[in-house]
Amino acid sequence: MAEKEPGKETKDGELSETARQMRAAEPYIAAVWKLVGGAVVGVLGGYFLDKGLGTGPWGMLGLSLVGISAGFYGFLHEMARLGKRKQ
Amino acid sequence: MRKAMVLLASLMAGMAFAAPTEGEHAAPQSHLEKEEQDVAGYILHHVSDSNEYEFEIPLSDNHISIHLPQFGIPLRAGVSCEPRPTPDGHGKAVPGWSEGCLDLSITKHTVMMWLAAVLLIGSLLLFSNRDKSKLVPRGASANLFEMLVLFVRDELAIKNIGKEEGPRYTPYLLTAFFFILFMNLLGLFPWMATATGNIGVTVALAVCTFVLTQIAGIRAAGLGGYLAHLTGGVAPWLWPIMIPVEVLGLFTKPFALTIRLFANMLAGHIVIFFLLGLIFMLGHPAVALVSVPFAMGIYLLELFVAFVQAYVFTMLSALFIGMGVAMAHHHDDHGAEGKELGHSHDHGRAHM
Repeated sequence: MAEKEPGKETKDGELSETARQMRAAEPYIAAVWKLVGGAVVGVLGGYFLDKGLGTGPWGMLGLSLVGISAGFYGFLHEMARLGKRKQ
Repeated sequence: MRKAMVLLASLMAGMAFAAPTEGEHAAPQSHLEKEEQDVAGYILHHVSDSNEYEFEIPLSDNHISIHLPQFGIPLRAGVSCEPRPTPDGHGKAVPGWSEGCLDLSITKHTVMMWLAAVLLIGSLLLFSNRDKSKLVPRGASANLFEMLVLFVRDELAIKNIGKEEGPRYTPYLLTAFFFILFMNLLGLFPWMATATGNIGVTVALAVCTFVLTQIAGIRAAGLGGYLAHLTGGVAPWLWPIMIPVEVLGLFTKPFALTIRLFANMLAGHIVIFFLLGLIFMLGHPAVALVSVPFAMGIYLLELFVAFVQAYVFTMLSALFIGMGVAMAHHHDDHGAEGKELGHSHDHGRAHM
């Protein structure tokens, strides 16, 4: 299964072009979402941590770095997985 | 058509000229005249939801108001949810969440949704049960409904979800399509309102699609696979960051569905009202010669938009459900990595 591309996984050719494109694009969208989402979750998590514990700005700085790193890791991980799948 | 539009514009312009000028009024201003001076307020009044159903009587200053029942359910013991006068003095309102009340008042848009539901159930039952001995539907309406039903099944459900799983989700897609279509079309009739121009309604519709998308994902990948997908396939120490990211990602699709339908339906009506309001804003009746035909054009466009918006919502719902169904394949990759990472993955069933 891992060698197949997501857009070509269907044995039936009746899927619409939009559906095929969306399914093919989904891993790339997920990768970008991880990159952006990691940073957003880190910054927001840090902000609320600082607000709750009064540790500002260290919570926000620390969790932002963790979030951005996790986002990059998730992005690269997704890209590596796609690369493996294409081979 | 052109002659009819010119005639209508002339009629409107004539009516505006025939209307008494400001100097002729010695008596206090009527409700409608006050609204005419506040075009933005008039537009907002007509597109927003309200606890009062107003029937404006054409060519007169009068209108009939029906006060719809207002009631709230107390969420905490000892809380009174009786409607209280609003601070601005216009009508009453049920206390909100902060005061421990769930406002379940009947509003104008609720009535429109009921009407759309009655039309949906009535028309589809009528055409589906009629003359079962014949395979071919008879009559323009029956043909139209059959065409729409087949279109949703073949072009939306099957082409976006797949041949095997598509028919399973067709009943929901058909319900969503016709419900939205009826709500959109109802707003184009005089004295009616567009319930899809209310963000509460579009949120509820998007939540239905969201729930079904998740169910499709769980059915396709299995509960274990679905939960494993939420970890993003990364190492366990990154889960505290990645799980919120994946959960946030789940909500982007229903959010897009909500805003797109709400904004499109609201914008069309505001444009029509604004074009007509230009007559009062610019203060000259001759403006009607331009604004009325333009408003008429936008109105006809809205008729088309009513169908397009129902189609787009259904198409996107089908697309998202299809992506949920396809999760099983995407998940297979996570599964391969999951072995390396040491957490279990249920691969579920492959559908296509």
